[in-house]
Amino acid sequence: MPALDAIAGPAAAHVPIGGKAAIRTSSLTKRYGRTVALDGLDLSVPRGEVYGYLGPNGSGKTTTIRLLLGLHRPSAGRAEVFGHDAWHDPVEAHRSVAHVSGEPLLWPALTGRETFEYLARLHGGVDCAYRETLIERFRLDPDKKVRALSKGSRQKVALIAALATRADLLLLDEPTSGLDPLMEAVFRDCIGEARQRGQTVFLSSHILSEVEALCDRVGILREGRLVDEGTLRAMRRVAAQVVEVTFAHAAPQLPALDGVHVTTAGAKALRLAVSGPLGPVIDALAGHEVTALTSREPSLEEIFLHHYDGTAADGRR
Amino acid sequence: MAAASPALARRALTRRLFLDARVRTLSFAALFGLFAYLQPVAYRRGYPTPASRAAFEHAFGDNTAVRLFYGEPRDLLTVGGYTAWRVGGTLAIVGAVFGLLAAVRALRAEEDSGRMELVLAGVVSRRAAFRSATGAIAAATALVWLAETLGLIVGGLPVGGAAYLALATASVMATCAGVGALAAQVAPSRRGALELGGGMIALLFLARVVADTARGAGWLDWLTPLGWAEELRPFTSPRPLVLVLPSLATGLLLVLAARICSRRDVGTGLVDARGDARARLRLLSSPTAHALREERTSLAAWGLGITAWSFIVGVLAKTSSSAGISKQLDRELGKLGSGSITTSTGYVGFTFIFLVLTVSLFAAAQISAARREEADGQLETLLSQPVCRRRWLAGRLALAAGAAAALALLAGLTTWIGVHAGGVTLSPGTLIGSGGNCLPAALLFLGIGSLAYAAVPRASGWLTYGLILGAFLWNLVAALLGAPAWLVGLSPFAHVAPVPAEPFRAGAAVVMLAVAACSAAFATQIFSRRDISAA
Repeated sequence: MPALDAIAGPAAAHVPIGGKAAIRTSSLTKRYGRTVALDGLDLSVPRGEVYGYLGPNGSGKTTTIRLLLGLHRPSAGRAEVFGHDAWHDPVEAHRSVAHVSGEPLLWPALTGRETFEYLARLHGGVDCAYRETLIERFRLDPDKKVRALSKGSRQKVALIAALATRADLLLLDEPTSGLDPLMEAVFRDCIGEARQRGQTVFLSSHILSEVEALCDRVGILREGRLVDEGTLRAMRRVAAQVVEVTFAHAAPQLPALDGVHVTTAGAKALRLAVSGPLGPVIDALAGHEVTALTSREPSLEEIFLHHYDGTAADGRR
Repeated sequence: MAAASPALARRALTRRLFLDARVRTLSFAALFGLFAYLQPVAYRRGYPTPASRAAFEHAFGDNTAVRLFYGEPRDLLTVGGYTAWRVGGTLAIVGAVFGLLAAVRALRAEEDSGRMELVLAGVVSRRAAFRSATGAIAAATALVWLAETLGLIVGGLPVGGAAYLALATASVMATCAGVGALAAQVAPSRRGALELGGGMIALLFLARVVADTARGAGWLDWLTPLGWAEELRPFTSPRPLVLVLPSLATGLLLVLAARICSRRDVGTGLVDARGDARARLRLLSSPTAHALREERTSLAAWGLGITAWSFIVGVLAKTSSSAGISKQLDRELGKLGSGSITTSTGYVGFTFIFLVLTVSLFAAAQISAARREEADGQLETLLSQPVCRRRWLAGRLALAAGAAAALALLAGLTTWIGVHAGGVTLSPGTLIGSGGNCLPAALLFLGIGSLAYAAVPRASGWLTYGLILGAFLWNLVAALLGAPAWLVGLSPFAHVAPVPAEPFRAGAAVVMLAVAACSAAFATQIFSRRDISAA
């Protein structure tokens, strides 16, 4: 493929802006008519971080990414990518960005290889050798037209094109939707490599295990607002602990306690989500015949559901 | 919850498909109603006395150029006869396009978008879905028929005759919807179906043109729905039995389409697009280059159609240049807003007015293509790259302008070849100049279309097409209605001289080009400030 080699360049042809955060937004707000899609978002993702962006459907994740890409115009506030204003200076910003959306919108008449070529020329320089490895690792047939590809395979095309740019910032909007578990594992490896190379990754996802496995820091979005943000460890500390108690007889009615949410977990068991100290719970249990008591940190899923429902984490439903 | 009823689901699908195309259907209905109303009114005003009508008939009786577009006039002495010729002739062609668009939209667009899989996953069978689509098309056709009938009635024609004339138009719509339905099954995509169907309709139109203009080719009229509509002879000597032909043809086409539909895979055509291909890396260097790559088939189709048309127009120049046509004609044609056609130059000038329309429609098609790239979401992918929005739109507009220029000059050149083959001497420069004369107006519509695209993206397609058709039809009737000059002049078509019969109007051209350039510049400004909106 001589034509492809011709445009193979160094991974990042542009000069990186030292010291500036990869993503920074301040009071970023977007309204569509009366709907407030994003409400005063303040976000800062330093270079080299893998940031997980979580939120239920319609919470404003894709809107955030559209604003970061300068596709939509902020109603208020601003967004910066490597110090470039996302709306006013998108072309400069995009030189250091690669984007994958959950619904890969490619050109049906182009083959995979033609798509790579087109996107590479638009981006200006990709790592062709790495691209060939990616094609192999993702097991993609690059000579099929996009219209003949399944959703998962189209997703692969978009992912390979984005990863091959070795861009400083990967903006990924549910990038693994439609991928099978094997390919998802390949994706995780690729993100690991990107992290090692010092690339920044902004990963919006529904797949909590994926975020848990990959991300340094997590932000949880709800109704256009960031309701929680931090490292997983910090979040776990703050969020409710899960205490499961099994009794010898029928589970008793416990008195109402501040910061404790009780659900039944079978005839003889209770699950307690405890946001404060454990002392009052232990006191309340005294006098009941307890056969087992376990306590664990909440999973990301439980933290997520806690914010999602607006109630205490109550484990799996 | 009640169990899903197939009958209810079918009805729901019919309603959805009908409503899906409602803006287009209503636009066509309004256009048909208005045009049908204006023609008889204009005729009464333009030719109030029997003497003026006789003069008009004498002038038009046998003119090739006029027949080329409107078909054969049978009676120009009565309001009904005139209306049957003008309304019937023009609306039959527009109706053919409407039928094709309606059928491809209902039968193919839904499938390309993937929504049809959702429907077919429910209790609706493929056959039922096909029938629902047919029902939606029939309802749309009926609505347009009703609008034309009402327009004619309000224009002062008897109810029965009006309904019959509109039925002649509707018969073309139905047959061409059949053509569209078949194309939708054969072609691998919506776009392919439109191109295939468009090509078939162009052939049917060509058959009618030859039948009405060439000596001894009258039998060709019986091979095309546009000919059948003429042979129904509304208002002169109605022959309702001829309706059997379009009914049979429509039925046959639909049955054939239904058979194919029940056999093929959803989302593909009988002729499936190749899934595998060796990478061809040409025309991928920039968004504009890629746009050319995406549009090249469509460009070739436009080029081919315009070439065939211009060649025939050129060959026929000889027949119209013969002497013996009353001088009255010049004045009468002036009233039609078309200038003199008694000489070859006059004839060419007259036919090139339709080229202005064609190239303008091409410009509208380019605006629609740009909008589709946005609606289908690819623009989002594109603009996530380091690609400047303004440059993207500017490149797209430049491509459209360049292609429009190429088409206009190609038309001039092939007309010259035709004229030359027919044995008339006109210099190639003159005819290429006539082609170039089409450009300012077409570029004006491109500029206005780009403004519509930037400001109201979702409405830009029908707005641009509607503006062009409205301006063209207004130019046809405004003069006859005796509208004040400034009102007539609202249509850009009024400012295009029939070159070479009249000298090129440089002033008007400069104004049109200036407005076009300002609109385009303004459009890129607005576009760079708005949200990218997928459908």
